[in-house]
Amino acid sequence: MSFYIPIGPQHPVHPEPLLMKFKVEGEQVIDVEINVSYTHRGIEKGLEYRDYMKGIFLAERICGICNAAHTLCYVQNIEQLLNKEVPPRAKYLRLIVEELSRIHSHLLWLGLAAHQIGFETLFMYVWRDRERVLDLLEMITGNRVVTSYNTIGGVRRDITPEMEQKIRKGLDYLEKRTKYFKKVVMEEPTVLVRTQNVGILKPREAIELFAVGPVLRASSIKHDVRADDPYAAHDEVPFNVITYDTCDVYARILVRIDEVLECINMIRYSLDHLPSGKYRIRLPVVIKPPPGESVSRVEAPRGDLLHYVKSDGSDKPYRYKVRTPTLANIPSTARMLTSRGDYIVYIADIPIIFGSVDPCLCCTGRVMFVDVEKGKSWVWTYNELVKYSRERFERHD
Amino acid sequence: MNEEEIINALKERFGDKIIDCKTPMRRRVFVEVSKECYKDVVKFLLQDLDMKFVEAITGTDVNDHLEVIAHIGYGISVSVKTKVPKDDPVIDSICDIARGAELYEREAHDLLGIVFKGNPNLKRFILPEDWPEGVYPLRKDYEAKHPKPLR
Repeated sequence: MSFYIPIGPQHPVHPEPLLMKFKVEGEQVIDVEINVSYTHRGIEKGLEYRDYMKGIFLAERICGICNAAHTLCYVQNIEQLLNKEVPPRAKYLRLIVEELSRIHSHLLWLGLAAHQIGFETLFMYVWRDRERVLDLLEMITGNRVVTSYNTIGGVRRDITPEMEQKIRKGLDYLEKRTKYFKKVVMEEPTVLVRTQNVGILKPREAIELFAVGPVLRASSIKHDVRADDPYAAHDEVPFNVITYDTCDVYARILVRIDEVLECINMIRYSLDHLPSGKYRIRLPVVIKPPPGESVSRVEAPRGDLLHYVKSDGSDKPYRYKVRTPTLANIPSTARMLTSRGDYIVYIADIPIIFGSVDPCLCCTGRVMFVDVEKGKSWVWTYNELVKYSRERFERHD
Repeated sequence: MNEEEIINALKERFGDKIIDCKTPMRRRVFVEVSKECYKDVVKFLLQDLDMKFVEAITGTDVNDHLEVIAHIGYGISVSVKTKVPKDDPVIDSICDIARGAELYEREAHDLLGIVFKGNPNLKRFILPEDWPEGVYPLRKDYEAKHPKPLR
């Protein structure tokens, strides 16, 4: 006897507009259908109506948390079209802000993951310490979250020696705290019991479904755009690509915590080797790139981000395409949430498994349907769903 | 494997079916192929050259035809472009060789009306439920209601 449990589009488990319809037998999830069509905002169309400079601000609003990655990807694309090289200092400054926002995103996620397994103390600790990164971002860029830092031709603000000292101090604090969080995660039974052997995604499946980012690396595939296709100053700043091979939620937590530590080292290295000189080249306000096309990739906190632009020689993009990491991870999420063989998904594990991919629906807005039993379709309209729930309710009453 | 080797391998395998090849910058390859061998090229890149990932599928409305671009990449990003006529926008689906690409095809179907023949699940995907059938917002003849920024 199987039942359907709808979670979302408004649900305490995940406060983002998303509908997950679970097919369950007893406590076991046997199928899931993910519907993410509640937030299509038409940004790709909107970018076609704006000139290149105004596009930066719209690209920034694709996702609040990964805004540094989105603007970086956008401006790189336009610079590639214009065939302009930014000054070396700007490359390092871009890297610093990008890595700071990665720390911010990963710590935010760690707090949410703790919240989803009911470990509220860790949630409070992590979010308190995350404020320190936001303070640093505010000092460098002027804004706590939406940084508006990258611009075509470089960055908007420079770092002074006083700021540099403050950043180093902040990083020391963050490193100490992150190491403590890692110890907590590795030793605390609450975390271990809830995350080990939960949400399995085998390496073969991760490649088959084109998973990206920390999800892919937690399935022991060594792929990171920063290493494989370096941009900004990533070809000069050394770092390790973190992988874990247990392929579960626990591995995804450790990958992110270790990435925070790597980010801290990268920022320190960049501050030590910060080139002098200009941080921006001035370009005309109205930019008219030659006709052509360009692909730009950035490792956003959630994974591989891809922007494509086609220019027809006018001051507005002819076509702008964004592929966000969460969209790429949706098929893998559906796989993690489906019981198969020895691997069983329980209802209580849904929040942390879904949370473990760090979903960000504001940048996605798309639908997924998984078909386990061939030839059987479970896509229902809203009315059918309402009818079904009423029938069920009456039968049990 | 570098950009030159990829282009040479493609030219060797497909000959004059490759219409155009260019590398505008490092680690970026743009290939234009005929509609018939689009799927074979994607398969060749994924399986024989071991590129592993389909990263996105872009559709673009260009005058009388639609462009379909499959972005394939691991370290190097290869964009395989092909053209389909606007009055019959049908192209072979790559779902059976790249399972994760199903969503990308559905996205292009929703926004531009490209029909991917062989995709088992080509249904409404990112547009809301009440969006009218047959209206494709990313085609150039579709005018957004509030196209301009307010200020």
